[in-house]
Amino acid sequence: MTQPPHFVIVGNSVAGIEAAIALRKRDAAARITVISSEHPHPFARTSLMYVFCGQLSLKDTQFYPEDLYDRLRFVRVVGRVRSIDPARRTLHLTGGQTIAYDTLLLAVGSTAKRLPWPGLYDETPMFVHHFVTLEDMRGLDAAARPGMSVAVIGGGLVGIEVAEVLHLRGLRTHFLVREPAYFPIALDSAESEVVAAHIRQHGVDCRTNASVTAYRKEGGRVSLVGTSGPLDRPVDRPLELSVDLVVGAIGVTPATSWLAGSGIAVSPDTGGIETLPNLESTTAPGVFAAGDCAQVTWIDGSRRPEQLWYTARDQGRVAAAAMLGDDVNYRRGTWYNSAKFFDVEYTTAGFIPYSAGSAALESASPGSTSGGTSGCGGWQTWYQHVPGGPVTQRIVVRDGAVKGFNALGSRWDHQVWKRWIAERRPLGWVLAHMNEARFDEELVAPFRILPTATLVDGA
Amino acid sequence: MQSGLMTTYQNPTQNRNGLAWGLSALLMAFYVDLYFTDHLDTVASALHLPSKWTFYGLIYTLAMCIGGWFMLRKHGNSAYHRWRTISLVAVQSVLGFLLPLVLDFLGRPSYYFSYFFPLKYDILFPGTLKDMPVAVACWFVFGSLVGVPTLVYFQGKRAYCSWICGCGGLAETFGDPWRHLSDRSDRAWRIEQVSIYTVLALVLVMLGLVVGDAYAADGSAIRDLAGHTKSFYGFAIGSVFSGVLGTGLYPLMGSRFWCRFGCPMAAILGLIQKFGQFRITVKKDMCISCGNCSAYCEMGIDVRAYAMAGTDIRRASCVGCGLCAHVCPRGVLKLETRAALGPHGKIEVWTLDL
Repeated sequence: MTQPPHFVIVGNSVAGIEAAIALRKRDAAARITVISSEHPHPFARTSLMYVFCGQLSLKDTQFYPEDLYDRLRFVRVVGRVRSIDPARRTLHLTGGQTIAYDTLLLAVGSTAKRLPWPGLYDETPMFVHHFVTLEDMRGLDAAARPGMSVAVIGGGLVGIEVAEVLHLRGLRTHFLVREPAYFPIALDSAESEVVAAHIRQHGVDCRTNASVTAYRKEGGRVSLVGTSGPLDRPVDRPLELSVDLVVGAIGVTPATSWLAGSGIAVSPDTGGIETLPNLESTTAPGVFAAGDCAQVTWIDGSRRPEQLWYTARDQGRVAAAAMLGDDVNYRRGTWYNSAKFFDVEYTTAGFIPYSAGSAALESASPGSTSGGTSGCGGWQTWYQHVPGGPVTQRIVVRDGAVKGFNALGSRWDHQVWKRWIAERRPLGWVLAHMNEARFDEELVAPFRILPTATLVDGA
Repeated sequence: MQSGLMTTYQNPTQNRNGLAWGLSALLMAFYVDLYFTDHLDTVASALHLPSKWTFYGLIYTLAMCIGGWFMLRKHGNSAYHRWRTISLVAVQSVLGFLLPLVLDFLGRPSYYFSYFFPLKYDILFPGTLKDMPVAVACWFVFGSLVGVPTLVYFQGKRAYCSWICGCGGLAETFGDPWRHLSDRSDRAWRIEQVSIYTVLALVLVMLGLVVGDAYAADGSAIRDLAGHTKSFYGFAIGSVFSGVLGTGLYPLMGSRFWCRFGCPMAAILGLIQKFGQFRITVKKDMCISCGNCSAYCEMGIDVRAYAMAGTDIRRASCVGCGLCAHVCPRGVLKLETRAALGPHGKIEVWTLDL
């Protein structure tokens, strides 16, 4: 009788653990080993901000019960993998332990991108923090004391979360956004201004166009020097901030530097593990990758990691099927995502052109609302801001069919939006049916089209 | 807005520590004093109130008003929570306190019109009904057997438990700071199913005995049995379970300890809800497993497991408070009522038998 196969999974966050569960569902006999150094139980990294502020305990964030490993007979190894020998199919742990595998899944996630100022981490290590791993969170938790001042660098989703909880803890919080508007990758200038105003209303000093060019160590503090603010008001542009802490939130990078020289190909641009469509390594047979560390094909054809919770789960499941020999490929369907900026919820689906809405809206003349599909590649943007709160809706249309949705401050079922996009519904039909996609709590006023809604060429 | 919740675990009384135990002991001592001594009658008469029960009603209503104020500060940005909290406080203030007080001052018998069988376990006893004006008796019979069950069929248990009920009202207002302490383990779920249906069986047997007794001859065995059952139920369930433990354990076991493990009304309404039109719809593939919904479910339902599986929630115990949907940072959950049944069922991982 042959021995059952040994599946080894490195990383027990969502991609890794979903793969392990999927493997066990299909193969009752397989040996499944899950290696992690971060925490013995899978926990939701998405809740780090809630653990930091005290809304949840770390245990609350464990999304499977603590006896999952026993129930599904996973072998738990707490440790860090030092190196891989794909030819011999063995792993070496930092403690000297060696583990042999038949099939390996790397779901090692990512770590925070480091701030690019030379010498920063050597000279002022105690001042600089990140907010991606449990260790990051604990470090910041120990350092952040009420009354301190902090600069959060980076205008993305982690940045705004960490700014919110630091502000809640009583730190004077400066939120430095490099771009001219908050989160331009997903929001247009009008939406971005709604969010920025909301952030400021909470008492956080939100600065756009902020560029830090130098830092100085001053006793127990760090002084950041650069420019910020509206480009047309040069008088107010110089930036000089003396802070107790700096939090770098400029993105994440796959935690793959330790793979150098292993024979497992890693993209020089992104650090993601190069994969075939079935998530197997392009260079090391029997090695798969899923989650933040995997280089995958996006719907626009580009190759980069997809650093999202839901896609990590899907990739873990696809990788498990592929590890069992299924003929499967990972395919990302229509894009969707959600986020929360302080109290403002955000839902998006479909194609919202990168940062384009702002330029198009600014250049569009007011008389162009009836302009049909002429010019701007057939793109049109419908937008309205519901007065009295940070509530907006934006729909982009191309050649008469809806392509994408962006909504702030109200809840929407992205699945319905995705269906409408697939069905190539025209804008008029969609606007008439918008309430069918509504997902707000009961007793909330229904969606309606306001007289101030605009339809302009461009997207 | 969640800023009211965001520091939950940093508040010493909300963390099941020594202070919470002390608070729990105080609450229990108060209930023991209320139920088993006449001490509070003297307090009541000093305040020119008719009895200790009026005094209790006053404290109860005040606790709900103050708790309701905090609840509105935390969650009043949501219309659902705003109206639900106002409804609970209004029902308690008017039907649960002022009206009985006024009736009493007028020298009339006072009734609590918002409580029905089997929560108000003696309201359908023939002896109780016989002493009431016909219209009042009709209100309680109709409400218990037709009114509330019909409401719950169409709107879910929440219509009673989270919009009307005085016990639920205290839990949702005064008890709100401890909602995250409900035990979410499978074991607690199993215990809940046994205990709540045991109490339901007990209350139905008791009603049967008491009705039987009304037609039995003097000195028959059923009379003794009915009497013993009544006094046992009144002591063990009415006073100890729902009062001393039900409220006393708020700071340790969460605000819905009685509603979840004991209330026979919740048991019946839960069964109706299971076959009714209420459910919590899950938006598929948007859950980030953060755990806020499960943590703040006062009934100890592992909401996240359903949200992760993309499975609509139809659980007998759900009182439809709506906090899971409100605290979800991705808007994944939606309370709704619909005639057509969507797919729903068990959570996959738990049913894996490997």
